[in-house]
Amino acid sequence: MKLLALHLTNVRKFTGKRASIAGISDGITVVSEANEFGKSTFFDAIYALFFEKFSSSAKSVKSLQPYAGGAVEVAADVETEDGSFRVEKRFLSRKAAKISRLPDGAVVAQDDEAERWISSLLGSASEGPAGLLWVRQGLVGLEPDSAKEKSQLMETRRDLLSSVAGEIDAMTGGRRMDRVMRRVADSLGEITTKTGRKTGAWKATSDEVGVLEAEFNSVTTQVQALDKALTDRRQAEASLKRLDNADAKARRGDAFAAAKDAMDQAHAYAGAVTTARQDCDLAGLKAKSSETELDAFLKAIETLQTAEKQARDSSDEANEANQWANRLKTALDKARNVHKNAIDAVAETRRQLNVSRHQIAARKAKAEATHLESQITKAEIALGERDVARAIAKASLATPEWFRQAELAQGEVSKCNAAVEAQVTTLRMAYDGTARITQNGAIVPADQHITLDGETLFDLPGIGRMAIHAQAVGEEGRARLATAKGSLKNILSQAGASTLLEARTLAAARAEAETKAHLAQAVLDTLAPNGTEAMRAAKADADLAATGAHESELPAIASLETHLTQAEQAEEKARGLLSSTDVEHASARETSIKLRAAAETAERALEQAKADAGPEETRDSRRAERLRLQLQSQQALTEAEAELQALITAAPDLDTAKAGLKRAEDAVNAAVQERAQVSERLAALSSEIRTLAGNGIEERRDELAGHLEAANAAEAQFAQQVAALTRLQSALDAERDAARDTYFGPVQEELKPLLSILHRDAALSFDSDSLLPSGLLRDHAEETLDDLSGGTKEQIAILTRLAFARLFARQGRHMPIILDDALVYSDDDRIIKMFTALTRVAQGQQIIVFSCRQLAFQDLGGARPKIEVVDV
Amino acid sequence: MIKFIHSSDLHLGKAFGLFPRDVQVRLRQARADVLPRLAALAKDHAASHILLAGDTFDQTTPAPSVIRQALNMMRVADHVTWVLMPGNHDHANATELWRQAAQDAPPNVVLQLKPEPYVLTANVTLLPAPSTERNPGRDLTEWFDSAATSETLRVGLAHGSVTDFNASEDGASSIIAPDRARRAGLSYLGLGDWHGQLQIGPETWYSGAPEADGFKHAQTPSVLLVEIAGKTAPAIVTSLPTGTINWQRATLDLTGVADCSAMHKAMLPPLPDRAMTLFDLLITGRVGPLARVALEQAIAKVKPDFLWHRTDWTGLGLVHDTADLDAIDRQGALRATAEVLANESADDTLSPEARKTAQAALSHLFSFALEE
Repeated sequence: MKLLALHLTNVRKFTGKRASIAGISDGITVVSEANEFGKSTFFDAIYALFFEKFSSSAKSVKSLQPYAGGAVEVAADVETEDGSFRVEKRFLSRKAAKISRLPDGAVVAQDDEAERWISSLLGSASEGPAGLLWVRQGLVGLEPDSAKEKSQLMETRRDLLSSVAGEIDAMTGGRRMDRVMRRVADSLGEITTKTGRKTGAWKATSDEVGVLEAEFNSVTTQVQALDKALTDRRQAEASLKRLDNADAKARRGDAFAAAKDAMDQAHAYAGAVTTARQDCDLAGLKAKSSETELDAFLKAIETLQTAEKQARDSSDEANEANQWANRLKTALDKARNVHKNAIDAVAETRRQLNVSRHQIAARKAKAEATHLESQITKAEIALGERDVARAIAKASLATPEWFRQAELAQGEVSKCNAAVEAQVTTLRMAYDGTARITQNGAIVPADQHITLDGETLFDLPGIGRMAIHAQAVGEEGRARLATAKGSLKNILSQAGASTLLEARTLAAARAEAETKAHLAQAVLDTLAPNGTEAMRAAKADADLAATGAHESELPAIASLETHLTQAEQAEEKARGLLSSTDVEHASARETSIKLRAAAETAERALEQAKADAGPEETRDSRRAERLRLQLQSQQALTEAEAELQALITAAPDLDTAKAGLKRAEDAVNAAVQERAQVSERLAALSSEIRTLAGNGIEERRDELAGHLEAANAAEAQFAQQVAALTRLQSALDAERDAARDTYFGPVQEELKPLLSILHRDAALSFDSDSLLPSGLLRDHAEETLDDLSGGTKEQIAILTRLAFARLFARQGRHMPIILDDALVYSDDDRIIKMFTALTRVAQGQQIIVFSCRQLAFQDLGGARPKIEVVDV
Repeated sequence: MIKFIHSSDLHLGKAFGLFPRDVQVRLRQARADVLPRLAALAKDHAASHILLAGDTFDQTTPAPSVIRQALNMMRVADHVTWVLMPGNHDHANATELWRQAAQDAPPNVVLQLKPEPYVLTANVTLLPAPSTERNPGRDLTEWFDSAATSETLRVGLAHGSVTDFNASEDGASSIIAPDRARRAGLSYLGLGDWHGQLQIGPETWYSGAPEADGFKHAQTPSVLLVEIAGKTAPAIVTSLPTGTINWQRATLDLTGVADCSAMHKAMLPPLPDRAMTLFDLLITGRVGPLARVALEQAIAKVKPDFLWHRTDWTGLGLVHDTADLDAIDRQGALRATAEVLANESADDTLSPEARKTAQAALSHLFSFALEE
């Protein structure tokens, strides 16, 4: 169906008038008028025409009636596959409906038949596609507020999508699918959290497994301890039995007795060995002593011979060294004399040089003192002049400031005087001829200003008398003049002047005195920068330094200095000789003393060696005796050693015997000790066993093993159940998503190019309940429609309607899209893009746009019919 | 000449940890209650002795209360003499157990801890073969052949498996000669270890446990009343039922079964018995998902009837056809999900674990979808 024209008669503001819109195009038609022009009236009237029975008195119909009342008539010219028709209805009064063919006006159907004709045209008893495609003013979203309208539109969308893709319930599983998915989620939720962690019975079972494992391990450990204790107790009991065995006890006793006998025998041998070893040691000592005595005797003889030779040699060396030391002593004395003379010569020369240098300094100080005396005199003169000038300047009050004040006062006097004089009338005569004017008889001189004051009479010879009345000088000017003069006088008197000339003289005198004082101070600063007292102190120092100055001739300083250098060199040379001789002498003396001491030592050694060697005549006999004794003791030692060795060889090992005895004794003691320990251990083990066995831990372990096995099995079942439910859930999700994709495929396909005009690479997700877009997918993120701006939401709503319109068109159900003041939130850029989308859809799709935004919708293009209103 | 009751494997103090606490308590109590039942049977049948051929206790160190209460029970039944011999569970090397038992035993309780002849009566000598260890590794009855017992009637008592068996009750090796009674001139050889009652030879018997402790043996737990008139007379052995708890393990093979629920119903024990029955149900074969759901519901319905009930579904495979999948949905996502899971469960390229998970997921899907 396409709309060709609309006609409203006596509808709302068009009371008693007929309003028409003609020339609606096949594509876009824009009815752009100002507010209150009746655009929405047209929209509501079209709705009533197509969706309200002509007999209806519904609120929506009544709302069309003007205040003046009367029948409401609405008509639309439409084009269908069967041709062009006029559809018209009259509401509220003389109600009627009529369908007539347009070219010839032939009535096709009336009243109820006309209603059926309209229903057939719309393809639905309800609002049908128009509900989706006709958007009234103020509806910017996807759905109206009214629940009834929502429900109707929902059914329309479901019909539309089902007709192009199939029944949604059939595809997505409908309520049964919902129930199954809910059951899966509930079943999973009972035992798992949303993040897949265990909860509920599964967690309880898992926790129980943990608790059971811990307890099982603990009890198993106790059972093992009990087993071990039982085993240990059996072993201990066996040990006790073994220890208490009579044969074993007897064996240990016999072994002990045998070991003790062996020990006694070993001890006896040990005593004999000790005695033999002592004998052996004694023989060894004797042999050693004999050998030592023989060696000492032979050594004393040899030492004596050596000492004799040593004593001789030492004596010779000492004598020779003494002689050499004496010679060096003589040379040393001589060197000392030479050095002393050289020192004296240096001292004398240095004294002469000092005397000459002192005299030169005294003479220089004397000249300095004379100069200072002259300077002090000049400074004292300058000081006196400065003090006099300062006194003059200080006594005078004619300061430059004072003089400036005086000059200013004089200027004021002059100014006041001039003012007074300016008020005086004067008369100056200039005669050409011989006649002269007289005043009071006196000729008024020519070229002189005569002051006039008051009335003055002049005689003009040959003419008569002339009275000139001049104005008197003002008292105020005179007073100011007097004041200025008084001030001047006062100022001048401060420094003793009576005139400004005198003042200038006094000021000049004072300035001169100050200049003199400055000059004198400058001279003083030059002559005595540190003051005269400092100069006098310097002179006193110079006088002191000049003490002893004389005018006698002095030897040349340079000659004295040369002489001194030569003397010092001679002294240094003599000192060197003295030093080397002294060293040499000391060395020789030391050598002599040492050699003398050595000679004395050798002599004493000789005496000692003689004493050690004994008388010379008995030396041979003593040597023979000592040799014999040495041989005899050596023989005794050899015999003692042989005897000892024989005993050692024959004796049993005492340590071995001791070890044997100890071992036998230990065995007896160990048996006793072990028995005590085993008994003690047995008591402890029995106590431990009673404690452990008393708890029935073996039974508890078996019980726990059973519980643990059951709990593990239960947990495994839970795990399998979760795996199965999770797999089922994922399979259900996947299939439902796939079904939805299929279901919404056609509308998505229509939407995609339209949406890309506004948002590149964007897509809309659909809600399978409302069958409307639920979110915008862009930049890999989904935003719900509620989160979008009003403009974007409004644009998506219109694009969705355009897509639905395309789907209707694909089914051969052409319906116009009517938008009443849509796109109220869109900005300039988006509105242009929306125009592009509208224009794209308008290829074969009628779109009627009512808008009050005349300027904004200028760019939409399309036909632009006007609302024509005529009286009826 | 002598009349006695032969029993074994009481396993007093057994934990039964695999079971829930309440069932566990019931099972333990049932074992403790065996003692007065034996005493009553002895009294009813005028038996002078009750010979317990090993494993009276389940552990080598049972809780003192288990020992004391058992001995107290025996003390009360003083009309009969109790002869206790160690088995492999309570072997003679369990010194603490037998030390306490010896300490607390009443006069009518005799402990046979050594392989020595014991005079039961003036004319009857008992030859015991107490287990020395958990796994003795030798025939402890060998000494019976040469045991000197003068002219009295000889009764043997031993614990372990005969050489015909591959293993004892709990897998331990043992080698009692099956013809030991004949070789040793025994009028009767009472054996323990095998929990089911079993006759090995004319005079050789396993009494079996008086109260079952597992699903292994199908027959009713019993004791043996043995009556021997004289040295040359044969032993007259009578089985006396003693069990109170019914351990029943059943396999429900659903291969080719049309009505699974009916088959399940048919195999159930009578209603009055169920409260004392441990029912371990193994389901095998292959069924369609609808049948499985129906069976699941049937089992869930009867499960509370039992003292304990377990169903093992691991042996059951799923087969499905279009009609089964139609039960879920004829089209759409739900149907597609069912097909995906069905394909996965039959996909040989997937791991067995993944196939099993897919099959379980499909079962869940059927259950949830058909819950309306």
